[in-house]
Amino acid sequence: MSFVPGQPVTAVVERIEIQKLSQGPNLVLGFCIGGGIDQDPGQNPFSDDKADKGIYVTRVSPGGPADVAGLKIGDKIMQVNGWDMTVVTHDQARKKLTKKNEHVVRLLVTRKTLEEAVKQSMSRPGPS
Amino acid sequence: MPSDKYSNMEEKLWILEDLNMMYIRQIALSLQDSDIQKKIDHEIRMRDGACKLLAACSQRDQALEAAKSLQTCSTRIMAYMSELQRMKEAQVMQNIPRRSSDVGPMDDRLPCKGKVAISDLRIPLMWKDTEYFKNKGELHRCAVFCLLHLGGEIFDTDMVIVDRTLTDICFDNPIIFSDAGPGFQLHVELYSCCFEEDYSTGSTPRKLASKLSSSLGRSAGKKLRAAMETGPGSPVSNGGASPLLLPVPSVQGPKYHLLAHTTLSLSHVQDSFRTHDLTISGNEECSYWLPLYGSMCCRLAAQPNCMTQRMMSGWLKVRQCGGDPQSWSKVFAVLQGTSLFCYHRQEDVETNIEPVFTIGINKETRIRASEKDPHSKAQNICISNQYGGEEVTHTLTTESREDTHRWMEAFWQHFYDMSQWRQCCDDVMKIELPSPRKPAPITPKQGSLYHEMVIESSDDLSSTVSDILAQRMQELELRSQLGTSPTWMSLFEENLPKSGAFTRQYSPRLSGLSPSSPRGRPRSPLSYQRCPQLGLLSSDASLTSDSDSHCSSPCSHRYGWPEPSSNLSLLSSSPSRLRPRTLSLDAKLSTLRGKGYGSTLQCPCQPPPSSLLAPLPMSSRPPRSPRGAQTTLSCSSSTSSNSSSNSEGNHSPESSEGVAFSRPSPVRRSLRNLRARLDPRNWLQSHV
Repeated sequence: MSFVPGQPVTAVVERIEIQKLSQGPNLVLGFCIGGGIDQDPGQNPFSDDKADKGIYVTRVSPGGPADVAGLKIGDKIMQVNGWDMTVVTHDQARKKLTKKNEHVVRLLVTRKTLEEAVKQSMSRPGPS
Repeated sequence: MPSDKYSNMEEKLWILEDLNMMYIRQIALSLQDSDIQKKIDHEIRMRDGACKLLAACSQRDQALEAAKSLQTCSTRIMAYMSELQRMKEAQVMQNIPRRSSDVGPMDDRLPCKGKVAISDLRIPLMWKDTEYFKNKGELHRCAVFCLLHLGGEIFDTDMVIVDRTLTDICFDNPIIFSDAGPGFQLHVELYSCCFEEDYSTGSTPRKLASKLSSSLGRSAGKKLRAAMETGPGSPVSNGGASPLLLPVPSVQGPKYHLLAHTTLSLSHVQDSFRTHDLTISGNEECSYWLPLYGSMCCRLAAQPNCMTQRMMSGWLKVRQCGGDPQSWSKVFAVLQGTSLFCYHRQEDVETNIEPVFTIGINKETRIRASEKDPHSKAQNICISNQYGGEEVTHTLTTESREDTHRWMEAFWQHFYDMSQWRQCCDDVMKIELPSPRKPAPITPKQGSLYHEMVIESSDDLSSTVSDILAQRMQELELRSQLGTSPTWMSLFEENLPKSGAFTRQYSPRLSGLSPSSPRGRPRSPLSYQRCPQLGLLSSDASLTSDSDSHCSSPCSHRYGWPEPSSNLSLLSSSPSRLRPRTLSLDAKLSTLRGKGYGSTLQCPCQPPPSSLLAPLPMSSRPPRSPRGAQTTLSCSSSTSSNSSSNSEGNHSPESSEGVAFSRPSPVRRSLRNLRARLDPRNWLQSHV
């Protein structure tokens, strides 16, 4: 999940669709994010590469919309509704997730287990 | 009078339909093929059922599903009927004596059939800038599904609701057609229907409706017109076929229209994803319009039977050329795919033992029958392959002449199949079996426990909470019968072994719940055991402050329970309204922050010291599964303590962790905000 500046970033992603929950005047997704290009990446407990300034899921409220949709703690969010999340500030990321008139967010998230699963399935011998 | 004419028309249509059915039945009888007849009958019954369902249902998405099944059934009926007619024609043609000039030499050889699978269909959309990025305008939604038609098989995909937050339409489930020849034509059709919730103009007279639609704004007018389409005056649409053959009874309800279509064939088959062009019908003015990019990505794989099934097997004697002329090895040979597998014994084939050796049979192989060997009665078959630069020849011989002939025939058929199926025979393409269709996920529009936990400042929360939870459990009974259950249910399952000791102590307090157990639910023996779980879940909170005393019922039971359980999962479900009382917790937080900060940050997967867990006023958390509990908790505690400790006495940056659903006062918030953000040591987290 680390990136080389100047090279395109590739990742195995999972598509997660979260329906926002109305809580009075607010729309809630039920998770917390951390990270951003304006944050100190060394303090991110979830990233493999401590130089990764991406947006990570730091907490998922149990039973909340994100939990139900399958978001896991430690996931790195790559896109939100088509918007890139790999090079954004923390506040920009928060804003993209909390738009008032959007009731659904579609995330592309990546985690290490996805890459491993793909590697495993590629190395498995095919049928004769 | 119009109504008379209408009913007259309907009667005529019914008569025609009856006549058509008789005609169909006669054809089927004459062909002595009851198979198709049964299928047609079945589809007609399904179609009638779908019509009834459509007429009866009130919810829009149910109506859409029913309309989709209606469309599929109609298409299937059309297909079966045309198949029937084709077969009748073929029969008629056969009865006419053939003149030699009419038809050339009949090619006896037919290529083998195979399985064709299409999966991971993805149709990209191309929204206008203003619509997509700026989120302008009302959310225009359409329900779409794909109809896939190959030979006599028609399948539909699940229905997907599309609006402008979607960048592509995806249909993931693989669809497998089992009986396809190499010259197959797979028609993919995308149907869509406008999905508007609000407009019910069923009884509005047409004139008024058109006046209304012209006087309203453009988009509103379009929607009205779309809704009007579902009225009784709409033209009968049945997939484009002639309406007289078997008219579809016109029903009220949503109608799907063909949005795009394409046809795939053998040349499109590949073991990876490919993009194909779509032909789009309809234009922007249609209600069912979606801005398609114009192409479709999918994975079209084919498994011809010659690759997956054993085409020929039998005993042979094999000799490798260049070896000892007398070293014939007797083997049981199986011709499958691109090789001839040779086993010692026939049983080895079933038991998956490795073959003794394998002779490749592919496009490069040359097989010929050699001249009569003076030593044996039958002809030999020579198989030559190029391995690297060398040519290796194996010689086969069989017991009898007929065997040799049969083997040669099998080889010729195999080569013919490979030439017909072309690229599919290079390697066996993987086809996944489609997963059983999951029932549509039930999204309770009424909300979750969050909604239900609107509790005023009453102190007696025990009954409210337990009532709500009992209600939820009942709901879950229903849901679990469909195979889905929210994650927190598993907490009850998993905690059972621990519950034994706690049972007695909790029963008097959680009396609110126990009445629910004799409600005759199928899992009642379990439900009693569930009651104590509520208390268990909040047990660790006992370690903290007294200010939580006002929290909801499970919390109130903590004080008698000093023993921290290893399942540190549940924190008290204090509702958001209790925020004022927990203010003093913030003070505690800041005193406690020193304890866990350093250690837990670095190792998020270790269970945190229990003292840190409780003080977090996590409002409105329903009990949740311990599956992710340990990890999640430790992370959450570390992060929240992190955030609290980082912010130097500011308990959290605005909208960040720790005060999930409550909002501090604006002044305080902005101060905190500023301080937190400007502090470079912070690793900000926001709650969204």
